[in-house]
Amino acid sequence: MMEYFAQALWIYMYAVLVAIVAVAIYGVVARPNIVKKIIALTILADTANTFMIFIGYRLGSTAPPVLTTLSPSRADIAGFVASAVDPVPQCLVITAIVINMAVTALLVFLAIQAYWLHRTLVAGLVSKLRG
Amino acid sequence: MRPWMAAATKACALVLLIALCVAILLGATAHTPSLELRPLAEFYLENCLNPYDKAKWAASPEAVTAMLWDYRGLDTVFETTVFFLAIIGSVALFRFAEVSLASYESKLRERREEGLSIIVRVVTRIVFVLIVALSAAIALHGHLTPGGGFQAGSIFAVAPLLAIAAFSRRFVEGLGLTKNSCLAIRTTGLLFIALVALIPLALALAGVGAFIIQNQSKPWTPEFPGYPAQLGPVWLAGSLILFNVAEFLTVGSGFTLLFLLLALPEDFFRRLVKR
Repeated sequence: MMEYFAQALWIYMYAVLVAIVAVAIYGVVARPNIVKKIIALTILADTANTFMIFIGYRLGSTAPPVLTTLSPSRADIAGFVASAVDPVPQCLVITAIVINMAVTALLVFLAIQAYWLHRTLVAGLVSKLRG
Repeated sequence: MRPWMAAATKACALVLLIALCVAILLGATAHTPSLELRPLAEFYLENCLNPYDKAKWAASPEAVTAMLWDYRGLDTVFETTVFFLAIIGSVALFRFAEVSLASYESKLRERREEGLSIIVRVVTRIVFVLIVALSAAIALHGHLTPGGGFQAGSIFAVAPLLAIAAFSRRFVEGLGLTKNSCLAIRTTGLLFIALVALIPLALALAGVGAFIIQNQSKPWTPEFPGYPAQLGPVWLAGSLILFNVAEFLTVGSGFTLLFLLLALPEDFFRRLVKR
């Protein structure tokens, strides 16, 4: 019973993530305003990161991947391996977040430039004006 | 944009979304939540601080930091390069701002006491110190507790952002965080990362057995002693603390630089573009 409940909850979470991806892609593709495109892009990136963290979880794990002692016994290490979540996705996400932020900043700078050169933030108009 | 192009991009987005749904339904994410640990994760968890098998250990109880700067350290160095390029790109877009800003600022010197109300300013003064202290603690403990250079740098950058909002950009520059000093700190951090990563390689070229971004001594490279895992009672985790501190400087000053550029006054841009 509990397993079915967990599975249903998991499917629900995936559905929510896919829905957010849909909204974000809609924002990037269909919104004309560059700032709204950038906001949608950050939402898309954060959803991807959440997705990765989800994949790293396993049922029954109770601890983050940090060993709590500096002189572990063999039993400590075995217990650590038995209880910790998967550290690989976390490792990928750490760098992804910072680089997303840097890329977003670069896009914001480009948007500012475009605004001061063309006096508009509507993507279609910016491409027509040919600065 | 022509109408058919808009329609085509929307169709592409729809196809992408449907592909994602189908991939998940067909099990692209394998069994999630999984019941067992993947073999790769098991290797990292088992060996990150395993004093019984020092051939594979990274001397850090924090598996994520151990992976980030030891097991797949090269990967992280290249990610730092991407970060470097993004910031260099932003600075390059504003490369003309420097000289004209000096003449613009000199005319506005008479203005006094800027920023938000006194409540905000007093609270910001307190929180500013706390944020900086927290970020330094996270950077220095990154090899022992959750955290590290990337996280600490991002947290640090919040402090100047807050100060820009509550006081002004000139307040932050008065603290010494000008555009040029941020660039200097960032370059120092990057050079330090390169130095720590390349010392073992230099030894290897000199004939001593070692490899790039080597942290601890390995059985097949007995001549290279590795970076010290411990200094008296203080746990250093070899090169991990060095990388964390250097990355903290790089990320923190890089984002501070971006926020300083974003806070340039609006009518200054107007004049810059008009010329």
